Amino acid sequence: MNKVKRTWQINGEEHQTEIPPVRRFLDVLREDLGLKGTKEGCGEGECGACTVIVNGEAVLSCMLPAGQVPENAEVTTVEGLEKTPGGRLLQAAYAEKGAAQCGFCIPGMIVSSYAMLSRDPSADPARIREAHAGNICRCTGYEKIVEAIQSAAEQWPAGTKG
Amino acid sequence: MVMAVKELGTLHSVGKGIPRLDADEKVRGLAQYADDLNVPGAWYGFVVRSPVAHGRLRGLKKDPGFDWSQVVVVTPEDIPGNNIVDLMGRDMPFIAHDVIQYLGEPVALVAAASRHLARVAGSHIRADIEELPPLLTLQDMVARYKEDPAQLHELASQTIRKGDTEKALSEADMVVEQEYSAGHQEQLYIEPQGMVAIPESDGTMFIHGSMQCPYYINPELCETLDIPPEKLRVKQSAVGGAFGGKEEFPTLLAGYCALLALKAKRPIKIIYDRNQDILYTTKRHPSWSRYRVGVMKDGTIHAIQTEFLLDGGAYTTLSPVVMYRGILHAAMGYRCENVAIDGHVYRTNTFPNGAFRGFGAPQALWAWESMIDELAEACGMTPHEFRLKNCLHQGDSTPTGGILRDSVGSPTVLEKTLERANFSEKLKQCSHGRRGEKKWYGIGLSFFAHGSGFTGDGEARIKAKVALDLEPGDDGKPVVNVRVSSTEMGQGTCTILPQVAADALSIDIRHTAYPMPDTFKVPDSGPTVASRTAMVVGSTIFSAGKKMKAELEAFVSAELFDGQPVVLEQDRFCGSYGDKEMSFEEAAAQYLSRKGSLRVYDQFKLPEFIKWNQKTFEGDAYPAYAWGCNVAELEVDTLTFEIRVTRVTSYWDIGRLLNPVLAKGQVEGGLVQALGYAMLEKIEIKNGKYDADRMQTYVIPTTLDIPEMDLHFVEFPYEHAQPGAKGVGEIPMDGLAPAIANALVQATGIRMRDLPITPEKLFQMMHEEKTA
Ligand code: FES
Ligand code: FES
Repeated sequence: MNKVKRTWQINGEEHQTEIPPVRRFLDVLREDLGLKGTKEGCGEGECGACTVIVNGEAVLSCMLPAGQVPENAEVTTVEGLEKTPGGRLLQAAYAEKGAAQCGFCIPGMIVSSYAMLSRDPSADPARIREAHAGNICRCTGYEKIVEAIQSAAEQWPAGTKG
Repeated sequence: MVMAVKELGTLHSVGKGIPRLDADEKVRGLAQYADDLNVPGAWYGFVVRSPVAHGRLRGLKKDPGFDWSQVVVVTPEDIPGNNIVDLMGRDMPFIAHDVIQYLGEPVALVAAASRHLARVAGSHIRADIEELPPLLTLQDMVARYKEDPAQLHELASQTIRKGDTEKALSEADMVVEQEYSAGHQEQLYIEPQGMVAIPESDGTMFIHGSMQCPYYINPELCETLDIPPEKLRVKQSAVGGAFGGKEEFPTLLAGYCALLALKAKRPIKIIYDRNQDILYTTKRHPSWSRYRVGVMKDGTIHAIQTEFLLDGGAYTTLSPVVMYRGILHAAMGYRCENVAIDGHVYRTNTFPNGAFRGFGAPQALWAWESMIDELAEACGMTPHEFRLKNCLHQGDSTPTGGILRDSVGSPTVLEKTLERANFSEKLKQCSHGRRGEKKWYGIGLSFFAHGSGFTGDGEARIKAKVALDLEPGDDGKPVVNVRVSSTEMGQGTCTILPQVAADALSIDIRHTAYPMPDTFKVPDSGPTVASRTAMVVGSTIFSAGKKMKAELEAFVSAELFDGQPVVLEQDRFCGSYGDKEMSFEEAAAQYLSRKGSLRVYDQFKLPEFIKWNQKTFEGDAYPAYAWGCNVAELEVDTLTFEIRVTRVTSYWDIGRLLNPVLAKGQVEGGLVQALGYAMLEKIEIKNGKYDADRMQTYVIPTTLDIPEMDLHFVEFPYEHAQPGAKGVGEIPMDGLAPAIANALVQATGIRMRDLPITPEKLFQMMHEEKTA
């Protein structure tokens, strides 16, 4: 099969890959690049566990052919969050509020939170719920997740993308 | 009680909302779930399945045109031991060899270097099957039961008898009869099932993966693999949710991997995709209940007669025990001296149904708590008056004649919830399907208990074993490792057990740790099920901690403090002469360097006064009960019939709260799962297949479906198992569906007796009512 060459900035580091363009971006991250923090919960775009950020947009990596991730794209996965002040804030809030139970939805969930707050650091629970409606969690009932995001939003570093 | 309070006086971890000890690795994406394990040289396994639900297997055909040299195939002839899954009934083979009992039953296993190749190879194997007529649905099962139960294949049955129910029914002022049913529910943990089997050079088979109960897989696999238990090592990876779905099922997956690994002589990994996971794993049993209840004019319950049926699926597995818990909750919560309950599990040709949070109690309570409202109405009483009049109090007897001796949260949780929700006032505001309104409002109540721990003498038989190891940690500093087979699957084991250990020792929780269970390192504390970890395993850890404390105090006294009496308190050893003190860390390091590591064992003992007859189901069905009460409020859109639960108010007595933040998380998550069970989650069988086999078609609650939740605890600690927890894992799942159905009656006048409660059904029933 034809392969394409891509260079991406993943979590602030440059990665060069040569991949079949139809390979799922999720598999490229997990299997080719060893970034196993991103999870597969359904493989069909329904659960949000595979959420990553590509050029500022939260996307479902299980539905994304790697060939469609543009050259020089900036990619953030759960592993990259701790390199940013906003990401660290979210991680601390999730931990402190008890937002993670089994933790399997969390990489996708917290990446969605980071994408949302980077654009709209709002602590309004309705907006938070709306922005996370595509991230399914079977453990928590979402209450503590919403609380954690609210608490991170209240302290969100002003004027930054996080 | 006095004793209990004194003992607990020094606690300082228990009762605090300490963040989970695994939170850091989970929020950083570092936790290693089954699919994240790096297993060099692993091949991927694939299960070849029967395309029909019932039939006789005549043989397998391997496509001669396919290159079989690059794959490994396992059929029953390759199984070294017995082709039997050692669960109850011992009626299920690992790989079918004769009769096919469900669609998707394994007929062969395949492994190859890539997932894709394994799948392709699997598609080149055809099972030649002579089809037989299948029994697929609960509805058909119940129809046959009503006609003549002898037509059904019974997998288990059990009765409960108290007093003279037939006579009491004839004495009653009124007899109310009703039937209820509920469908499948899929656990839908977000991490699909996954397992790895690694054959080691010394003949050990190492099973590593997503599971609730390492000591199920060992010994269950030993017979099949024909290896002794000491050659089977089972270790848990991080578990991305389980809810019962990873209780008995992982034995199957471990078996598939291990059988392939033996033949391929290399590690084998199987990770189900979502579609396989929904189609080919256990689900909550569909259920049917029929009640005849005799009440007196004053609202007293005089006689309860009920049948409780479960659709077991194809094989026995855990169904008998699920049914036992069902019948033990089917008339629980209220005073009545005449009770007759008949429980049955029948075979259908679907994947065997199994463990799911609540384990039969949600099905039983769905029916019983709906029935209670119907009884109240028949007596001309409000739902709360009727419950307050009949509910059990301390000293009363349960349907099996057990006495509620202590730690009884009834009627407190009921009274407090009613008050908090302003139930009696709001009940008057309900719409009752009035014409001309845009929205109908309704409020509904449910009240229930959940037995803590195994049913009956289960805990006495299992005798949960635990160990605490004082040993050097990764950083060289002394650490107290909690060694139990109780797993962390999101519910909080990895935090509450160290909390309990820390308090028993009176040390800072940072000196404790919970390593992932590995059967080569931990004793058998029993499975992580039945809301038993906090109460049973927790209390055993507590007493092990006390033993370790005494041992360390003796050491410090004899070897460091010149023989003076020593107490370990608040992380410090203090000599009684007041001149010597040493931190736990320093003294423990001294212990390690002088004597090496220290292991302390302990074992759970049921209080002697707990008596149970497993044949007649008489006596104390559980050592203790947790109690809960839900008030649900909802709105129905009168145009679309959309039903929206707006608010849930509840109080819970789960004994001592070990960690309020984690406990509340359990209640929130459990209520939302119960909301899904009540209103969203639905699998039907169309053309012999489940109609929901993906997350797009099997819909569970999202952030947008969540009602406001007003949740509170009252503590009635269980004093016979320090520090007094009664378990919270399952009870939140138990009672929301009936509260919603009861609220729906107040909103619309329509009584829904089949789960889930959907706008389509409501529309249909309102339409039928109009035309009737
Ligand atoms: S794995 Fe991508 S949405 Fe579920
Ligand atoms: S924490 Fe388990 S799925 Fe969200």
